[in-house]
Amino acid sequence: MSRAKRFSIGLIGQILAILLLAIAIEFGVSTLLYERVSRLSVRDDEAHRIAESLVVAVKLLSAAPPEQRHALADRLSTDRYIFGWRATQVPLPAGTPGLPSMRLQVTAWEPSLAETDLRLRLKSPGRSNVVIGSLHLRDGTWVEFIAPRVLEPSTFTGNRIALALVPAVALTIVGALLMHLILRPIRDLSRAASRIGHGQTIHVEERGPPDVRRLSRSFNEMQDRITELLDGRTRALAAVGHDLRTPIARLRLRTDMITEPAVRAAFDRDLIEIDAMLGSLLAYFGKDTDPEAPARADVAVMMASLADAAADEGANAVYEGPDHFELVVRRGELKRALNNLVENALHYAGNATLRLEPGNNHVVLAVEDDGPGISEAALKSVVEPFTRLDGARARNTNGLGLGLSIVDDFVRRAGGSLSLANRPEGGLRAAITLPV
Amino acid sequence: MTAPVIVLVEDDPGLRTLTSRALQGDGFEVHPAGSAPELWRVFEATPIDLVILDVMLPGTNGIDLCRQIRQRSDVPIIFVSAKNSETDRIVGLELGADDYLPKPFGTRELVARVRAVLRRGGMNRRTGSNGEGKARFDEWLVDFPRREVRSPTDAVVDLTGAEFDLLSSFLHHPQRVISRDRLMELARTRLGDPSDRSIDVLVSRLRRKLSQRDRKPPIVTVRGAGYMLNAKVQHF
Repeated sequence: MSRAKRFSIGLIGQILAILLLAIAIEFGVSTLLYERVSRLSVRDDEAHRIAESLVVAVKLLSAAPPEQRHALADRLSTDRYIFGWRATQVPLPAGTPGLPSMRLQVTAWEPSLAETDLRLRLKSPGRSNVVIGSLHLRDGTWVEFIAPRVLEPSTFTGNRIALALVPAVALTIVGALLMHLILRPIRDLSRAASRIGHGQTIHVEERGPPDVRRLSRSFNEMQDRITELLDGRTRALAAVGHDLRTPIARLRLRTDMITEPAVRAAFDRDLIEIDAMLGSLLAYFGKDTDPEAPARADVAVMMASLADAAADEGANAVYEGPDHFELVVRRGELKRALNNLVENALHYAGNATLRLEPGNNHVVLAVEDDGPGISEAALKSVVEPFTRLDGARARNTNGLGLGLSIVDDFVRRAGGSLSLANRPEGGLRAAITLPV
Repeated sequence: MTAPVIVLVEDDPGLRTLTSRALQGDGFEVHPAGSAPELWRVFEATPIDLVILDVMLPGTNGIDLCRQIRQRSDVPIIFVSAKNSETDRIVGLELGADDYLPKPFGTRELVARVRAVLRRGGMNRRTGSNGEGKARFDEWLVDFPRREVRSPTDAVVDLTGAEFDLLSSFLHHPQRVISRDRLMELARTRLGDPSDRSIDVLVSRLRRKLSQRDRKPPIVTVRGAGYMLNAKVQHF
C-alpha cells in the first residue's frame, strides 16, 4: 500500500503526464517538419532563374548611387521576385530553418553569390511556401529578396496538411486511450453505484491512482454503513413484529370467548387484518434475510387452492385454467404474491377470478375482478411501497400499501414482470408473467 | 377413555392461561409450563400425550428443548412460533416436531392441529410405523408435519387446510369406506358447519388436484355409503 503510494503520481500527475507526452509528440513532429523543410529544393530552371536575377540585381544595385537604390529595387521587382534595398541587415523570420539545399542549387549556378552571405528562409513553414532571402553588397548594405511562388505548391501542400494532421490525430488517439485507462476505475464505480439498492452489496475493487482508490474505499465504506443501518432497522422491526404476535394471539383466544356472534366475528376480522399487516410488513422487510430456495411446484393447483380457500371462507373466488402446471419457483413467495392479488380483488371488487395461461416460454398467472379498476394515472404508482389509493380503492388490503410492492418485488427477482391493466369490460387485471 | 394429556410450554403468562383454557374447553387435560425445568417436572410426574412448545422461550432455546425432549421420548410435539418463517418451520420439523403452528392462532385452528397430531400418533402406534409422519400412495408422498403433498413428478401440490385434513383421514383409513357423516365430523373444526354438499365439493376438489394423466383418481365414490381411498398406503 505505502509502496504503491510512493510510486504513484496521482490523478493530476497522470493527467499532467498525458499533457507532457502530448507536448513532446508535438515537439517531435514539428522538428521532423522543419527537417523536411531544410531539405526542400526547387527545380533546376527555377534555381537558374533565381541565380540570374540575383546576380543582375547585385550588379545594378552596386553600380547605382545609394539614393536611387530604393527606386531601382522597385523597378527590378516582378510579380515572381520582389527586391528591396536596406542600409542595415534584413530581419529574417526568427526560428525558421534555412534552406541549405536550395542555396546550394543557386550558388552552383552563380558561384559569385556565395560571397554575398546569401541567406534563404521559408517565411512561415508549414503554412505558406514563400521563400524570403537576403544578401549583402560589397559596400555593406543589404538586398532583400522575396519569391512567393518558387516552391512547388502541389507537392508541398499535401505534405503540409498531412504533417499538420499527423500530430493532431496521434495526440487525440493517445490522449483518449490514456484518459480511458485512467478513468476506468471511475467508470467501474459509477456502474457499481447504479447497481446498488437492488438487494445485493457490490464491492468495488480499490485500484487506480490514490484519489480514485480513496473514492472507491469511501464508496465501499459508505455502502457498508448503509447496509448496516438498514439491517439494524429491519432487525428491530422484525423483532417488534414478532413480539406483537404474542399479544395478538392472546386477543384471538380471548375473542373466541365472546358469546355474541356478531361481535366475535368483528373482533376476529380486525385481528386477522392486524396480523395480515404485520405479515406483509415482515415479508417486505424480511425478503433479503430469509431467501427461499426455488423448488418444483404445481402452480395450477396452488392457484386453485387459493381460490378454494377463499371460497371456504365465503368469498366469491374461482380458478380457471389447466388442472396442473408445474414450475420451478420460490413457492412461498409466489403464494404470498398471488394471495395479495386475490385479497386486493376481493377487497375492492368482492370477487376474484384466477387464471393460468400457459405460453411458449412463459406462463401468465392473472387475477381479475370486475370492480372499479384503477385510474390510468395511478396504475404506475400502485406498486410503490406504502401507496394507498384515493376513492374507490382507498385502502390497500393489508392496510399498509405493501401488497403490490411485495408482488412486484417477487416478480422482479423471479425474472418476470407484473402488469396491471383495467379490463375493457370493467375491473382490474393483475397479471404476473414468469419465464418457464 | 381418559382425556389426552397435553403439556403447554409458553413463557407468556397471559397466552399460557388462554391457550390452556381453550384446550380444556375441548376436553383435554392441560399442564401449563412456563420454562424448561417446569416441563421436566411434569414429564416426571405423569405420562404425556402431546407437547405444545413455544420456540422462543427465554433461557433455553425452544429448538434445543425440542431436541432434549426427543432424546427422552417420542411424544408428539407441536411447535408454536411467532417467527413464521420458512427456515424456522423446516428446522423445527427436521428436529422431529410433528406440526408447526404460527402465532397468532384461533381456538379452532389450535384444536384442529392438536386433534390431527394425536390421531396420527395413535395411528402410528397401531400401524407400527417409525413415526416420521410420512405416507406414500400411488407414488404420491405426503408429509404430515409439513402439511405438504408431493406429486409423482416431485412437485409440491398445495392443498387447502380442509383438503389436507380430508386426505389425512383417507390415508389413515386406506381401502376402507368412510361415510359422509364421519367425514363431516372430521371436517367440523375446519368448515364450521359442513353439509353433505360441502363434503362432496371438497372430495371433488381433492380428486382434481390429485389427478394424473391416464390414471383413475385414487378416491372413489361408494354409492350410498361414502368415499374410499383405493390405493395402498405405506406409512413411515
